[in-house]
Amino acid sequence: MIIRAEHLTKTFRTRRRGDGVMGTLTSLFSRAYDDKLAVRDVSFDLEPGELVGYIGPNGAGKSTTIKMLTGILVPTSGECSVNGIVPWQNRTQNGKQIGVVFGQRTQLYWDLPLKESFELLRAIYGIPADVYERNMAEFTKVLALDEFIRTPVRQLSLGQRMRGDFAAALLHNPPVVFLDEPTIGLDVVAKEAIREFIARTNRERGTTFILTTHDLNDVEKLCDRIIIIDHGQKLYDGRIEAIKRRYGRQRILVAEIDGFCADCEIPIPGVRKLSQAGARVSFEFDRERVSADELIVALAKQYELKDVTISEPELEAIIREIYLKGLGVDAPVAEALT
Amino acid sequence: MRIRPYVEFAKRAFSREGTYRTQVFTHIGSVLLRVFLLSMVWTALYRNNGEQAGITLPAMITYATLALLLDLIYGVNGAYVIREKIREGSIAIDLMRPISVPFYVLADTVGQTLFASMQIIPALGLSLFIVHLDAPATLGAAFAFLVAVLLGFVVNFFLDLIMATITFWTMEIFGVQLMVQFISSLLSGSLVPLYFFPPGIIQQLAFASPFAAIYNAPLSIYIGKVTGLQIVTTLGTQVVWAFVFGVVALGLWRLGERQVVIQGG
Ligand SMILES: Nc1ncnc2c1ncn2[C@@H]1O[C@H](COP(=O)(O)OP(=O)(O)OP(=O)(O)O)[C@@H](O)[C@H]1O
Ligand SMILES: [Mg+2]
Repeated sequence: MIIRAEHLTKTFRTRRRGDGVMGTLTSLFSRAYDDKLAVRDVSFDLEPGELVGYIGPNGAGKSTTIKMLTGILVPTSGECSVNGIVPWQNRTQNGKQIGVVFGQRTQLYWDLPLKESFELLRAIYGIPADVYERNMAEFTKVLALDEFIRTPVRQLSLGQRMRGDFAAALLHNPPVVFLDEPTIGLDVVAKEAIREFIARTNRERGTTFILTTHDLNDVEKLCDRIIIIDHGQKLYDGRIEAIKRRYGRQRILVAEIDGFCADCEIPIPGVRKLSQAGARVSFEFDRERVSADELIVALAKQYELKDVTISEPELEAIIREIYLKGLGVDAPVAEALT
Repeated sequence: MRIRPYVEFAKRAFSREGTYRTQVFTHIGSVLLRVFLLSMVWTALYRNNGEQAGITLPAMITYATLALLLDLIYGVNGAYVIREKIREGSIAIDLMRPISVPFYVLADTVGQTLFASMQIIPALGLSLFIVHLDAPATLGAAFAFLVAVLLGFVVNFFLDLIMATITFWTMEIFGVQLMVQFISSLLSGSLVPLYFFPPGIIQQLAFASPFAAIYNAPLSIYIGKVTGLQIVTTLGTQVVWAFVFGVVALGLWRLGERQVVIQGG
């Protein structure tokens, strides 16, 4: 177990501020506080080499959790450890073994050329010369850094900066890396490049990743396991496949039928006709009750089929339902798919 | 603690300062202007009131000019960035690194201060065209003066660090900051030598205050108001204040770090 969180809880206490001048003045002397429970009683374990998606709607408590694991926030209660080290008690020790990418802010030195930021990091982490050379060579190639390695960071585009940030986070070979929205604001190609880099690092170096993102394609392409939190509480922790199976039972079959059919109904329980546009008819079916095979056979008996496509439920549609309704209701994903 | 990262921080701070060239000229220009104005003011005051507190006019002008030159290095407030970092949350980045943030700030301040010290040479040279400066009383006094400046730097740094660290608890520090700056400029002897304060409890307090360790100590040694064994006690007092402020600053930092609230996602 390389990362563990046990009953992790964080409450933010903010001084209550009044409105206007009088409000500001009285708030200077009052002891009124607002408590905000950002993370409540969250527990999970990660094995070395896992790449876990940590997702949840805005304000769910994802960044707060990551800040506790990196040692920059002290938990209000509960415990956590990274590689056996309690981050907030031993921030510097922990700092050596983790890498962090915050999509929202850079860890590169704003005034310095990218290359010099790396040199400085080399001194900060005491990276041995051979490790530094090897990593620089690899990252320069994989992330195509040489186009802008001499450019001051403040002149880099977001995509370039993000590539620089990834190199910076991994330069000291950390066994654990936290990514907080690393693909935010990137174009499709840049996102793909970053995903490829994460997957490659995870595969080749066995680096453990926790990935926070609002782009579920990131998660779908990279992670086997996701943890979903909302309002600070853990809602789900398990395999993506399982959540798809459990909450995405409905699939869609679109058939193109030769010739006219006024009322193409299939009288099988678990199948429902959704729409019809000319020769294209869509059916929604519950894959627990009817297999795609059965449905196609039944259709073929009645009609001349020209083409058939079946669509998987998209993770995004499932997650949206979970955010909106929680885990209780079975997600009617069909709507989202038509 | 590995020393290497901090050497690097100091070096980068030094070269970073070097990129702001126009700032160097305006800095030196403003020092020279103030040297000129203050020498006029003191000359006029002395003409009307005669010698004060055993400080001759040339000694007074030397004192005032050196105080302005010291402003160049004491004015570097390297700890100030901490306040910005806490305010906008980028302190998170510094805290996740395997370094001590106060020592990182110290290294950065040292780098900036070394750069600022280099401005002292031209500023001093040009001042000599405007005013006459007394040489230090003895060679020993000259050496003690340099040590006292160094100790003054340490006290001043930790004072700045304390002020910046308070941002962990309250972001609205501007008023406090102004007050401390005012008290400090009064009690440190940077504007008016503490010898000019009315003798009595106020003067005693001024001499005893930690602020006196910043300007009063080195300048009193230089103009020969403090001599012999007194030099040792003056330096000793500076060491004590540097130690006390250091302990307070680092202690506050530890507390602040424990209850840090990081702003923004
Ligand atoms: N410094 C702070 N002071 C007070 N409340 C805070 C602070 N930081 C975060 N919060 C609150 O804690 C909750 C969780 O915030 P957090 O940043 O962890 O959310 P998140 O899951 O990362 O959201 P997003 O996806 O929008 O980045 C939010 O309600 C937020 O308002
Ligand atoms: Mg966040």
